[in-house]
Amino acid sequence: MAVLPRVAPSGEVFTRSWATRTFGRDWKIAWLFLTPLVIVLVGLIAYPFISAVVLSTQHKVVGGPATWVGLDNYRDLLIGKQYSEIFRNSVWVSLLYTGVSVCIKVVLGMCMALMLNEKFRGRTVMRAILFLPWAMPTLIVALTWRWIYDGTPNGLLNLLRIDYFGSKELVQWLANPHIALWSVIAVVIWQGTPFYTMMFLAGMQAIPQEQYEAASMDGANVFRRFASITLPSLKPVLIITTLLSTIWTANSINFIYVLTKGGPGNATMTFPMLAFQIGIDGARQLGTAAAVSVLFFPVFIIAIFLLTKRMLAQEERA
Amino acid sequence: MAVAARPNAATEARSSTVRTWAAKHGIRTAVLVVGLTIFTVWTLFPFLWIIETSLKPNKDLYGDASLIVKHPTLTHYDYVLNKTKFFTYFKNSLFVSVSTTIIAMFIGILAAYAMTRLSFRGRTVMARTIIVTYLVPGSLLFIPVFQIASNLQLTNKASGLIIVYLIGTVPFCTWLAISYFNTIPTELEDAALVDGANRFQSLVQIIIPLALPALAVIALFAFTQSWNEFLFALLLIGRDSEKTVPAGLAGLINGDVFQWGALMASSIIASLPPILIYIASQRWVVSGLAGGAVKG
Repeated sequence: MAVLPRVAPSGEVFTRSWATRTFGRDWKIAWLFLTPLVIVLVGLIAYPFISAVVLSTQHKVVGGPATWVGLDNYRDLLIGKQYSEIFRNSVWVSLLYTGVSVCIKVVLGMCMALMLNEKFRGRTVMRAILFLPWAMPTLIVALTWRWIYDGTPNGLLNLLRIDYFGSKELVQWLANPHIALWSVIAVVIWQGTPFYTMMFLAGMQAIPQEQYEAASMDGANVFRRFASITLPSLKPVLIITTLLSTIWTANSINFIYVLTKGGPGNATMTFPMLAFQIGIDGARQLGTAAAVSVLFFPVFIIAIFLLTKRMLAQEERA
Repeated sequence: MAVAARPNAATEARSSTVRTWAAKHGIRTAVLVVGLTIFTVWTLFPFLWIIETSLKPNKDLYGDASLIVKHPTLTHYDYVLNKTKFFTYFKNSLFVSVSTTIIAMFIGILAAYAMTRLSFRGRTVMARTIIVTYLVPGSLLFIPVFQIASNLQLTNKASGLIIVYLIGTVPFCTWLAISYFNTIPTELEDAALVDGANRFQSLVQIIIPLALPALAVIALFAFTQSWNEFLFALLLIGRDSEKTVPAGLAGLINGDVFQWGALMASSIIASLPPILIYIASQRWVVSGLAGGAVKG
C-alpha cells in the first residue's frame, strides 16, 4: 500500500488516459462549453416536447387542474362527435395548403434564381428588391395583405376591379370559403419564394462555369443544360430547402391567424390553427389541442429524419 | 453539309455563330426583361400599397377610395408617434431582440466551438440533437410553452419573451456557427495552442475574430427572427408598458375595426430595423444563410 503513492503519477496518467479513451480527448472542456446549450435544449425544447405528449393524455383547461384521461383526447379527435369532422377537415386543408404553397414556391423560386443568376446590369439591385418580402416582419406582411384583400371597395384588389376592370361585384377574398385558402396561399408564396431563390442561387454559384461551357460546345441548348447540369447539381439544395420549408410552412399559423383565423367555416383551418383554436383561442382545452399536434408529429419525423441525415452529411463533407 | 461545300466555310461558320448568338441573346434579354418585370411588380405592389395607405387621410381610405394619393398627409404618422406608446413598444422590441440575440450567440458560439474543435464522445449524437431541435415543429411546442410560461408567471415580462425566443434562436445560431467554424482551417489555431493558449483564449482570440463577419450575419438573422415574432408577443404580453411592437400593432385593431392608416404607418416604422439590417447585410445574405443550411 505504501508503494502506491509513488506510482501515483503514472497511475494518474493511466486514469486520465482511461477517461480520455472513454469520453474523448477534450471531454471536460467540451461539455463545459456545451452546458448552456444543453440547458436550453433540455429546458426549453425537450421539456415542452414531453409536456405536449403528457398533456395530450390529460383533460385540462387553461388554469384548471389536470386529470388523466388516457387516450380519450385522441379518440375524440379521430372518431368523437365534437372534433372528428373538423380534425379530418384540417388534415385535408393542411395537405392542400402545404402542398400547393411548397410546389409553387419551388417553381417560382427556381425561375427567380435562374434569372438572377444571369449576368446583367443592375443585378445586385434586382436581387435586393426581389428578396425584400423575406426581410419583412410576418405580422406586417399579413396585415398588409389583409388590407389588400379587404372585402369593401377600399381594399386594393376590389378597388382595382371596380376602377380599372369595370367590375360591379365585390370579391370576398378572405370571407368566401371557396377563395379564402387560395388567398392565404398567395401570401405564403409572396413571402416564402425569396428563401428558395436565395438557396437555389447559392447552389447555382457553386456549379463550375466550365461545365456549362463544355455543354455549350457540345451543342446543348438552354433546356438541356438546365436538365443535365443545373438540376442534378442543385438536387441536394433542392431537397434540403423543400423539406425545411415544408416543415415550416405546415407548422406556421402566422398568416392564417391574422388573415382568417381558420375561417370562413374552417376553410383555412390547418392543423396547427386547429390546435391553437382548441387550446388557446376558443375552448381552452389544452389536452385536446396537444393531441392535435402530437397526432401530426409522425408526419414530420420522416422529414426531420431525412433532413438530419442530409445536413449531417453536408457537415462532414465541409 | 451545305457549309462544307463552300470555300469560305470558316467565315460562314463564324457568322452563323454570331447570328445564333444574336438570336439567343435577343430571346434571353426578352425572357429576362419580361420575367423580372413580372416578379418585380408582384414583389413591390404590396409595398406601394402600404406606403400609399399610410399617406392617405381617412376620407380617402374609406368611402371615396382611389388608387392615387390625392391629399397626402402625415396625420397617421403623427397619431402613431404622438398619441400611442409606439416608442415604448419599439424600445421593448429592441430590448427583447437584442437580449435574445446576445444570449443565443453566446450559447451558440461556445457550443459550436466544442462541436467543431474538440474531440469528445457524444459529438455525433449532439450534432444530431442540434439539428433535430432546430427542426422540431413549432406547433408542437406552442401549446406546452404557452402553458408553462403562464404557470411560471412569465407573462407581461420581457424576460418571459426572451426565454421563449431562445427556443428558436439557439439551435439556429448554433447550427449556423458550426457550419461556419468548420470552414476555418484548424492549423491557424494549432500554433496558438502549442504556445500554451487554452481553449477559451483560442476561441476568443483566434476563432471569433476570424469568424466575425459570419457571426455578425448570424446575429442579424437572430435579431430579425426575434423582432418579427408575434404570436407569443400577442399571447404573453397584455400590459401596455411591456408590449413589443407586434402587440402594440394589435392594439390598433379594435375587434373588427382596423385603423388601416395608422396600422400601415406603424408598419413602415416597425419594418425599418429588419429592412435596414437586410440592406446592410445583403451582400452576405445568399452565402451566409444558404451556406449555413446547405453547402453548395
